[in-house]
Amino acid sequence: MTAEVAKYTMAQVEALELAPGFEHEQLEGWVPALASDEDLRQALGKALDYRGDVTLTLKSGERIEAYIFNSQDGPTLAESFIQYFAPNAPEKRKVSYADIARVEFTGKDRAAGKHWEAWVQKYNEKKAAGEKNIALHPDKLE
Amino acid sequence: MAIPVSQMWTVATYVLKKRLTGEKRYPLVLMLEPLFRCNLACAGCGKVQYPPHILKKQLTPAECFAAVDECGAPMVSIPGGEPLLHPQIVEIVNGLVARKKYIYLCTNALELKRRLPEFTPSKYLTFSVHLDGERDHHDFSVCREGGYDIAVEGIKEAVKRGFRVTTNATFFDGTDPNSVRGFFDEVMDMGVEGIVLSPGYSYDKAPDQTKFLGRARVRRLFRAILSNRKPTWKFNMSPLFLEFLMGDRKYECTPWGSPAFNIFGWQRPCYLLQEGYTETYKELLATTKWEEYGVASGNPKCANCMVSCGYEPTAVIDGFGTLKGFWGMVKGNFSLYKDKHALNLLNEAMPHGPAKLVQIKKPAHSLEETNA
Repeated sequence: MTAEVAKYTMAQVEALELAPGFEHEQLEGWVPALASDEDLRQALGKALDYRGDVTLTLKSGERIEAYIFNSQDGPTLAESFIQYFAPNAPEKRKVSYADIARVEFTGKDRAAGKHWEAWVQKYNEKKAAGEKNIALHPDKLE
Repeated sequence: MAIPVSQMWTVATYVLKKRLTGEKRYPLVLMLEPLFRCNLACAGCGKVQYPPHILKKQLTPAECFAAVDECGAPMVSIPGGEPLLHPQIVEIVNGLVARKKYIYLCTNALELKRRLPEFTPSKYLTFSVHLDGERDHHDFSVCREGGYDIAVEGIKEAVKRGFRVTTNATFFDGTDPNSVRGFFDEVMDMGVEGIVLSPGYSYDKAPDQTKFLGRARVRRLFRAILSNRKPTWKFNMSPLFLEFLMGDRKYECTPWGSPAFNIFGWQRPCYLLQEGYTETYKELLATTKWEEYGVASGNPKCANCMVSCGYEPTAVIDGFGTLKGFWGMVKGNFSLYKDKHALNLLNEAMPHGPAKLVQIKKPAHSLEETNA
């Protein structure tokens, strides 16, 4: 984060007509190679931003399906942890970076394809087909 | 002046007390998100894109009360998700009313008419109904034809039953200021107490975006919308914040002014950016690197943000915490902001075509997708 700060001056920001946006990464199905501590930190950083579940394999061999919502990046892996919700447990859980052997982006990316242009295209197609009460509906809660 | 005197008095005395005690960082509005589940699927909404097991989770009334008691803000906004889908929302609201908190229950109003009999009108409770513009524009914005009519039915019923009601709208690039002004006439005719509005913002949890309203364009848009006001228009917002949107004031973000609490905890640093969570509000205040956020920090994530959750607390603190700000607020409440240049802006051709907010047949590519 600190490196990103001070990218703009105040005057530049005030004069912006169009501001740069954020590009959504396609991560679903990705299994990052974790050759170094830095690789693990980067993979967990992306998992934190990911709008789907990931599967963590711990060094003990245990596999955990998790929605990661928080992390604390400490100086060492042992001092760093993530917090997550597992699908069948009500409470928040925590695991140390040092215990994680593998990260897989196994869950469906719930943000993928849900952008404005996709809705405009869908609307126009349905309208052209003569449909009424056109709408997008929330995903089923399975 | 749309905000009741008792509410203004509560906020004014709260700000003054904080000022007298020398407290530097304090909350004004708690953004209490009791759940993320929603009955709309607005394209690009960054608040509801979660796996089903997360969408099924919700805060208990006890968790809500603990958060409200810990942070101590005089106002509580209840967004979501759709709060009216929470099975204990009435218990939550009643508990907050008992604590004398001014509540803004933010709803798309699809369930409002059905659930109104469960609520009791109170000066502490306002239904803040999401309406993004005139019928066609709102329906297109929330990706549901017929949504506007249902929401308006809910608004009218709530007004009839004696509830405080406001509308809240988010405006994006491509917005036609003339259409927005027509929309203001419409909602005031419905009998609402006032209008709440904010510019859209490309926060990075909203899926897939490329370009957004920059600050210069936001100011031009709001100058056109908010100058030369009709006397019938009432805004349930700080007049200084509206002047900030119009380019008449320079403010910095006060992210701790509207802290957000949800099933994950206290969200760092603000309602829109999600850069981690803490277990307590005290920890949030103490451990967040506040200097890394806001426009002056140079952080690109904050570069185009002029959203109310960050800048309205600044305006409110200015208004109630300084004599100059207070005088500005008094003047703002009675001014119609006559401005010949802004009138000319209304006559300019829209960059993406004339007339309607959203040209359904010729979609405006510059419309973006961060309906929070």
